[in-house]
Amino acid sequence: MDIWGLFFLQPVTNVLIVLSHYLADSLGLAIIALTLVVNLLILPLTIKQIRSQKQLQDLQPRMAELQKKYARDKQKLGEEQMKMYKEAGISPTGCLLPMLVQMPVWFAVYQAVMLCLAVAPEGLLKLSSFLYSWPMLRTLVPLQNDFLWLNLALPDIVLAVLVGVTMWLQQKMTTAPSTDPRQQQQAQTMLWMMPLMFTVLAMTFPSGLSLFWVISSVARIALQCYVTGWGPLATLLPARLFTGGQGKSQADSADIVIKDEPEAKSTKSSAPGTGRPGYQPDKTRVRRPRKK
Amino acid sequence: MPRRHTGLTVKLSLLLALLVIAGGSGGCVSGMTPVGWSGAAVSDNTCFLGSGEGRLVTVNLVDEQRQWSDAMSTPSGGFFSFLPSLGGCSRAAAVAVYGTPAISGDLVYLGAYNGKVYAYDKNNLRLQWTYPPGKDDYLEPIIGGVTVADGRVFFGVSDENSDVYNVYALDALNGNELWKYKTGGKVWSTPAINGDTLYIGSFDHYLYALNTADGSLRWRFATEGAISASPLYAGGTVYIGSFDQYLYAVDAASGGERWKFKGENWFWAKPVKVGDAIYAGCLDGNVYVLGADDGREITRFDLGGAVSSSPVISGDAVIFASQAGEVFRVDTADNALTLLASIGAEVSGPLCEYDGIVYLHTADLKLHRVKVATGAVLYPISLEKPD
Repeated sequence: MDIWGLFFLQPVTNVLIVLSHYLADSLGLAIIALTLVVNLLILPLTIKQIRSQKQLQDLQPRMAELQKKYARDKQKLGEEQMKMYKEAGISPTGCLLPMLVQMPVWFAVYQAVMLCLAVAPEGLLKLSSFLYSWPMLRTLVPLQNDFLWLNLALPDIVLAVLVGVTMWLQQKMTTAPSTDPRQQQQAQTMLWMMPLMFTVLAMTFPSGLSLFWVISSVARIALQCYVTGWGPLATLLPARLFTGGQGKSQADSADIVIKDEPEAKSTKSSAPGTGRPGYQPDKTRVRRPRKK
Repeated sequence: MPRRHTGLTVKLSLLLALLVIAGGSGGCVSGMTPVGWSGAAVSDNTCFLGSGEGRLVTVNLVDEQRQWSDAMSTPSGGFFSFLPSLGGCSRAAAVAVYGTPAISGDLVYLGAYNGKVYAYDKNNLRLQWTYPPGKDDYLEPIIGGVTVADGRVFFGVSDENSDVYNVYALDALNGNELWKYKTGGKVWSTPAINGDTLYIGSFDHYLYALNTADGSLRWRFATEGAISASPLYAGGTVYIGSFDQYLYAVDAASGGERWKFKGENWFWAKPVKVGDAIYAGCLDGNVYVLGADDGREITRFDLGGAVSSSPVISGDAVIFASQAGEVFRVDTADNALTLLASIGAEVSGPLCEYDGIVYLHTADLKLHRVKVATGAVLYPISLEKPD
């Protein structure tokens, strides 16, 4: 077995099988539990990533201004950008490093789910080589693939749609509004392309994998909401959700930045979500750029 | 987010999606897509086997002429049928065949992963009948082989729904259903027949003994794990491996346990009996040589890789292959192990021997050949149908 199998895939696979045993022999419940457990384990990294993304989003108006100001001087633009990051005390790659660290973990979960589903006889044979030599483990396999209305080894249209919807919601929450048309177009592409791609994939992959994707997205949405608020999603949600100051939209951060900026940037005040009835922005969460 | 970082995120996300697709495809190639490992059956110098292209193939062992049946049909993918196969696991391009064909009279019988049993004319490979007979009717996947005895075809089906039958008996002549029986789990086992009793294992942990006349239960024997292996009947005893890591010897008449032997992984393959010894390959990489009467371990050989293919007897030797593609010879007189050859391809299906040559069907659509006497590797015969 290679290093990847030994240190990532094998442990996760065996945990998944043991979980299924203690969760009423249900592979579906085991997939849900494992996804949540892994989310908990990497929670500090995820929170760091979300906060870094948020910090970068908060700098968006200033960034737009710099781009406009130094449109013909790329070198100066770069210098000013770095200066701005330094002043704000953030690392531009702060949101990427946690993502890179999380990726192997998610791949291991993804592959373990595929392995445990053992759709074809070859899969069951392959699974045998990943089991620890605990006698209990070997008698637990093959796992029961029935869960709710699903056969987890087969694709399911409902779950495939849920994959797309939850992924879209997650993307929408992290999409920063922009005045730059190119940037706006990129954001729109991301917003639709990833969910669509995964929906199509979910239509051909076992629904057990789709279940993993849906739970991952839901967990991420919940976490994102807790850390930074609903973001641009707020514009799509009923206003009463935001009374009481629990939710915080993307627009609210834009509002606050505007207060620090010259009047010229007041165009941002028309950003989605501002002026919603009953909406009380939670200003305490916004990180302002540090002043010299 | 700054433009360049938005771009980077877009690229990273695309890379992630591509990796998921690649990972999925990779996973499918190595375990999620049914490919098949049909063994070969030989009759009149002709080898019959199911190919990875979903066809029955014959190879004349004298002049190496090959013949192909029409491709087997795949069930409709339902709602998802409009989608291309993205490396997903809902459908495979061709029908996989795992069971070894059974030859009886002028017909060759074959069970396939699409849930149909096929009967072909042995000489021209024309289809004679199918079960279920309807063009669009399919059972659940058939993984085990079919067994023909007394004008009847017996086979198991990979269906675990409590309201579905998964052991069938058909009239060998026309495919009419004679009886069917319901176990509590999928059946991947190839039935073993002795007299009027059929023995077959099930994923519900039981070894079943059924009356071949009407499918009534004679007895059933409980193990602690699922059974995918095929039973061996020899001398009033049924030998079968289970996922509980034991190889069991069960009294064929009463269903009582005679002995059991524990390996370090599953006994996946059907064992063979030579004299007073049982030769059983195990996924732990060992071949165990056990006393047929008492299950005592006579010796064991480490083949260095999992053994999932059933061995074959050749004269005074038993030939094994590891999944890694290494072919071994165990001389039964002194239980000496010799590495015969390495064919460089994964071996999962049962071995076949004819006229001093061992035939190994691999997933790369090739029939590999190794001489038992010398270990010489003959060039493999392609099973791919020319366009």
